[in-house]
Amino acid sequence: MVKNAILTCLLGLSALILFFPILYAVSASLMSTEELYGGKLIPSQFLLENYEAALQSVPLLKFLLNSLIVSTTVMVGQIAVSSLAAYAFVYIPFKGRTLIFYLFISTMMIPWEATMIPNYLTILHLNWINTYQGLSVPFFALAFGTFLLRQHFLTIPKELREAAELEGCGHLRFLLSFVLPLSKPMLAALGVYGFLTTWNMYLWPLLATTNKSVRTVQIGLKMMQSQENSTNWPVVMAGVVIVLLPTLIFLFVGLKQLKKGLMSGALKG
Amino acid sequence: MKRSLRSFGTGMMFVGPSLFLMIVFVFYPILKTIYFSLYLTDPRGVPVQFVGAENYVQLLASDSFRLSMKSTFLFVLYTVPTSILLALFLAVLANERVRGVEFFRIIFSSSLGVSVAAGSTIWLFLFHPSIGLFNHILKTLGTAPIQWLTSPDWALVSIALTTVWMSVGFNFIVLLGGLQNISEELYESAKIDGAGYWVNLFRITLPLLSPTLFFVTVVTVIHSFQSFGQIDILTKGGPAESTNLIVYSIYRDAFINYKFGTASAQAMILFVIILIATYVQFKVGEKRVHYQ
Amino acid sequence: MKRIWLLGLVLLLVLAGCTNSETAGGGETGQTGDGKVKVTFWHSMGGDAGKALQKIVDNYNAKQTKVFVQTEYQGSYEEALTKLKTVGGTPEAPTLMQVYEVGTKFMSESGYIQPVQNFIDKEQFDLSQLEENIAGYYRIDGKLYSMPFNTSNAVMFYNKDKFRDAGLDPEKPPRTFSEVREAAEKLTDSAKDEKGFAILIYGWFIEQLMANQGADYLDEGNGRKGEPAKTLLNGPEGLRIYQWLDEMNKEGVLGNYGRKWDDIRAAFKAGKVAIYLDSTAATASNVKDSPFEVGTGFLPVPDGVEPKGVIIGGGSIWMMNSVSDEQKAAGWDFLKFVAQPDTQAQWAVDTGYFPITKAAYDEKILQDTYAKYPQYLTAVKQLQSTKLTIATQGALMSVFPEARAEVENSIEKLYGGADAQKVLDETAEKINKLLADHKKVSK
Repeated sequence: MVKNAILTCLLGLSALILFFPILYAVSASLMSTEELYGGKLIPSQFLLENYEAALQSVPLLKFLLNSLIVSTTVMVGQIAVSSLAAYAFVYIPFKGRTLIFYLFISTMMIPWEATMIPNYLTILHLNWINTYQGLSVPFFALAFGTFLLRQHFLTIPKELREAAELEGCGHLRFLLSFVLPLSKPMLAALGVYGFLTTWNMYLWPLLATTNKSVRTVQIGLKMMQSQENSTNWPVVMAGVVIVLLPTLIFLFVGLKQLKKGLMSGALKG
Repeated sequence: MKRSLRSFGTGMMFVGPSLFLMIVFVFYPILKTIYFSLYLTDPRGVPVQFVGAENYVQLLASDSFRLSMKSTFLFVLYTVPTSILLALFLAVLANERVRGVEFFRIIFSSSLGVSVAAGSTIWLFLFHPSIGLFNHILKTLGTAPIQWLTSPDWALVSIALTTVWMSVGFNFIVLLGGLQNISEELYESAKIDGAGYWVNLFRITLPLLSPTLFFVTVVTVIHSFQSFGQIDILTKGGPAESTNLIVYSIYRDAFINYKFGTASAQAMILFVIILIATYVQFKVGEKRVHYQ
Repeated sequence: MKRIWLLGLVLLLVLAGCTNSETAGGGETGQTGDGKVKVTFWHSMGGDAGKALQKIVDNYNAKQTKVFVQTEYQGSYEEALTKLKTVGGTPEAPTLMQVYEVGTKFMSESGYIQPVQNFIDKEQFDLSQLEENIAGYYRIDGKLYSMPFNTSNAVMFYNKDKFRDAGLDPEKPPRTFSEVREAAEKLTDSAKDEKGFAILIYGWFIEQLMANQGADYLDEGNGRKGEPAKTLLNGPEGLRIYQWLDEMNKEGVLGNYGRKWDDIRAAFKAGKVAIYLDSTAATASNVKDSPFEVGTGFLPVPDGVEPKGVIIGGGSIWMMNSVSDEQKAAGWDFLKFVAQPDTQAQWAVDTGYFPITKAAYDEKILQDTYAKYPQYLTAVKQLQSTKLTIATQGALMSVFPEARAEVENSIEKLYGGADAQKVLDETAEKINKLLADHKKVSK
């Protein structure tokens, strides 16, 4: 009983501290400039005009849709490509596999910024500027995802593959009907991760788009902060909240899925 | 022979898509970067003069680059252990059976849903020297305000704080996933043996969590080395270059100063550092990790 | 589950396929669906200024039927320039592009552009209608390379209420370095963490304070007569500025609000700092949003020095050479519209930038604004009293952005306690190296 009370207290306190910046952003987005600059925590009245102003200043809704399309494409692409590769690293012994694995892992350490200019030129030559594929295809191959899934596939008992092989089950079928279903939590984790990191990118979308047709919402946020004129913070905070909302909702929904996968007990024993 | 050829073919079919994309979007560009690092480039980024190792030699001799390296290592040191320990603490808490724990799990993972652009914008306001909340609170407490982002002594700490906050969500989810994979039966048999909470934590939980912890450490170190967005939004490398971490320095040289040569040389140095760091972690780590 | 994903993937690819060809950048097609000539215009105006710019473009598009101007925001000036460097000279490049003032030299040497002087000569366009000081900045070897657009300069803003409280005359802003320092001492209240004076850590202000003393920033006639090899930053004029800042900093009367425009403006509006230097682009917002009476004054000079005036800041619009002649002509037509007095007056009212056209000052809308906010007038007077010399024309160098960053680092080191002359010498050495490196790679 006492333990539970202490636990709840600790949980509550940690939650308050961790969630505070987000709560504060929501609160700030409803204040007038005077209130915000005066150091208030809670607005005296809810100024929804800030949201109106935020939506008017840049086409945020269009950008939200673009972000959604790009992030979903990357998420699906990454899961498909990574699970294939991770499977090979665990179940298909072939010459040079270790070498290729280390090659893959090493790419995790290559800073994206270091490859950005040549990549930009590639996209330019493919005529992929201002397209959804220009924003998504370069991110399909993900060493991190391959690594994550490999680490997980390693925990699946080898006997399972041996048994399947005896039954005459091919690699692709084994992957689709045994390995992937057993890895739902990790796939979900990878999916959530891929979606969110893509959603969060901002330097690449800024370079790979020159007009509003496929531009993403992070750039929208950047667009709201002006060059030389002073920033209206409540309106910017309203923009922040509009940008945050979809990912937070996605995360909360995705988290449930994730938890369900984790609780299914598929991995016990 | 024939068999190994066939398994090579099968393996390639699975690895192929990844390999192809990596060749196009990672390996080819990095080779091009190496090529650039041996040249001087004109203001339009076109290599004009082969200089061999001169870009590297000049970098290693320059104060700015040394300061940048120092800040980068300090930053990794500030963020990685803090973020992992905090996430571990939260994951252990949230793995208990308490009412409403679902809710707390959502809250703890929320920073994963916050983009660098949005998160840094919020913190930018919190850190604001005159109207920011932190200095308002300090004023209410009667303490002198802190120059969070404008003092060379504080800026790196402030950026680290922001980074820890943004990375806790991801680390928390992965660690919680790892914790929930640990079989209940182990705890039950430990209970029969009369083991207490702390014994369980150090005898069962942490050893069995080690693969996950290992993974989280490797990823956090790499991410930490590659931090960019928060610096671009919060300090732009200043004040007095105190937060000019290596990736930001690369970005500056490449995209603002248009010196692909120097920028590429820095990128190569970063690449080698992370490579060594990861190799060491794998060598040391994989021996201590217990797979279930 | 698998099937849904697969379906989703296919759907997305189809979607992506559909969207790419039609909406892709305007540069390569040259025409809109209804036969108008399409002019793509890249700019870096976010926030309110972006809206004001769109207003100009909408007016232009509504006013005539032959040309359609499409604005495309490209992020900050640096980011826009970065993008141009990669697509310059290709069909992805725009017709018109806004570039900040320190990008002038780079643009003129880039090989991507067509000087607007060509059109001016062809049409006998009357350049005398432009503000001479503004056109002066963008003129290289007697040729106007780009059309000035958003221009601003540096002025002093001060809190009149605080002046009264401190027993200072609110109608007499300090004009010299020592007057500023004396006022700052009286205006500082350490207990409340209120500072007397502040300056944004931005290289531009040092450039302005140098020019106001009549000092060149670079050798070779401020880089306008030939390729510069040396900066004059560490000369006596620069040292006076740094020593002045250093003294006030050590006395504790100088506030440090970092490198962000926003932060120093917020500090001023919140009453944390009584006097500061800013761009005129902040005038409207400072006057409207401050809960106290705002005054404006000229940039200060060292004691005994006659103020020589200011350098133009802001941006200008460049014409690319990679588009069709038709598009160039259409772009030029739009530029003429931009330079019209009524357009300029509205732009000045909406943003706080200067009109580039003299006749704009006769427009009623601008006169009304100046009557309502007399604070605007200080900046206009300062601009008009500026004598156009090589110093006030502003320095030209390709490595200006990097040089600015070095100056900003040096101010931060100065505030950290380093010796003024030493910091200046180190910085000058770094800038000289930048200049030498540039010489090495440009033929």
